[in-house]
Amino acid sequence: MKFLEKLTKIDRRIIFLLVALAVIVPLVIPLGLPAKPGKYSKKLYDFVDKIPPNNQPLLISADYSPSMMPELHPMFKAIVRHCFAKRIRLLVMTLDPTGAALAEDALNEISKEYPVEYGKDYVFLGFKSGGSAVMMAIGQNIRQAFPTDAYNKPLDELPMMKGIRNYADIPLVIDIAGSAIINGWVNYAGTRYHAKVGAGCTAVSTADYYPFLQAGQLVGLLNGMKGASEYEHLNEKNGYSKAPKQASKGMDAVSIVHLMIMLFIVLGNIGYFVVRKKSSKK
Amino acid sequence: MKKQLPLMIVLVLGSAMAVQFFIPSHISTVTYETLNRWMIVIAAFAITLAVGSLINHHALKIKRKKAGWWNSYVTLIGLVAMALLGILGRVESMAWMGRLYSKVFKYIQAPMDSAMFAILAFYMASAAYRAFRARSKEAALLLVSGFIVMLGVIPFGSLIWDKIPDISEWIMMVPNMASKRGILFGVGLGMTATSLKIILGIERNWLGGGGK
Repeated sequence: MKFLEKLTKIDRRIIFLLVALAVIVPLVIPLGLPAKPGKYSKKLYDFVDKIPPNNQPLLISADYSPSMMPELHPMFKAIVRHCFAKRIRLLVMTLDPTGAALAEDALNEISKEYPVEYGKDYVFLGFKSGGSAVMMAIGQNIRQAFPTDAYNKPLDELPMMKGIRNYADIPLVIDIAGSAIINGWVNYAGTRYHAKVGAGCTAVSTADYYPFLQAGQLVGLLNGMKGASEYEHLNEKNGYSKAPKQASKGMDAVSIVHLMIMLFIVLGNIGYFVVRKKSSKK
Repeated sequence: MKKQLPLMIVLVLGSAMAVQFFIPSHISTVTYETLNRWMIVIAAFAITLAVGSLINHHALKIKRKKAGWWNSYVTLIGLVAMALLGILGRVESMAWMGRLYSKVFKYIQAPMDSAMFAILAFYMASAAYRAFRARSKEAALLLVSGFIVMLGVIPFGSLIWDKIPDISEWIMMVPNMASKRGILFGVGLGMTATSLKIILGIERNWLGGGGK
């Protein structure tokens, strides 16, 4: 009985140690857990997949900082790989000052894996401060917000940008963010300028975007690392990528940590009920 | 005049931008576009203001030798070094600075930032263990829902029972969304009320001085 009572007072250092092991072990010895694509990941994937190649570009706004990298960066990379493999033109921008370096790094890395050319198949616009003002400016003319790309080249000099003016020439906007900035894209790009919007967010903020999914204001949603691993899985299944699946590897660790947290909650509750029963008897 | 002028600008532009949304004319669109461009410029100024405020805060901390004042040196040196590397790295003859900037960002800032965020996992595990107790029927309901949603987002959920992801989605799409919609309506109404108060000059905290 005393052992069960002690379950309410497990030292937090033991919890920390077990969580650390639960993260490290699956990263060293991957479990290869299956990634069954969820409904909204599949919807976003299918929407991207139907964009005609060598035509109007998909716009990705990489609005995340390094703190959200483990969840959101694999998501960004998976979408970029999908586009490059299918020759879907790509426009990349960011509203987060630290997001520019992350997006640029990923583009440089992935552009070596596919036969794509800068300016023709993809354009990197870089960072622009202003948040919602930038979203609205793109609705008028993308050149208002970004007169040049991230390398100071006027947009009109880039072949891919010919005839691209505003959201009407962009079949889909995907915002990858760990903050409420997704609301802005839905409100301004989606509602005001009738752009199709999809999103990728951290798992903790997913609950906030379900109303937009049900209302059709988001065409699809990638839910944290799970969403990223599902996208990677779909890419691999369709032969678009052979790159190591970063999120799927991370998902093993996330799964074990989730189970561990659940186990601790169960143990804590067993201890709680034992203590409560004992004190009510007294 | 120091207060009246900003209040007048807010009243005129706030009302104009609200009305403009419903006027589908050329003048209205041009006005909207111009003001939008101004907004982007003003937002850029906000970054300058933020950097100025950061420097001021840490310079004062060093000057007054407050607790942990030496940490402020790290912040200031980091700020100046990264700004110099980032700005000068764009100059063709100093491209090495740009490469160094990328390396510092990729191999120092990004891992440190990620590590700070990752520490949350440990605290969350510990907090969930201590706080998630079925003390009442409502708490038990929350506990069960939480369990199902957690199982629904990991592959183990469907391995245990293939209906778990569906139940998890139902929880997210129905009870979760009902409450979220309520919150969204509340936030929307609150934003409208606050905007009106600012436009009409009732709410003046943004002027500084606590509305006095």
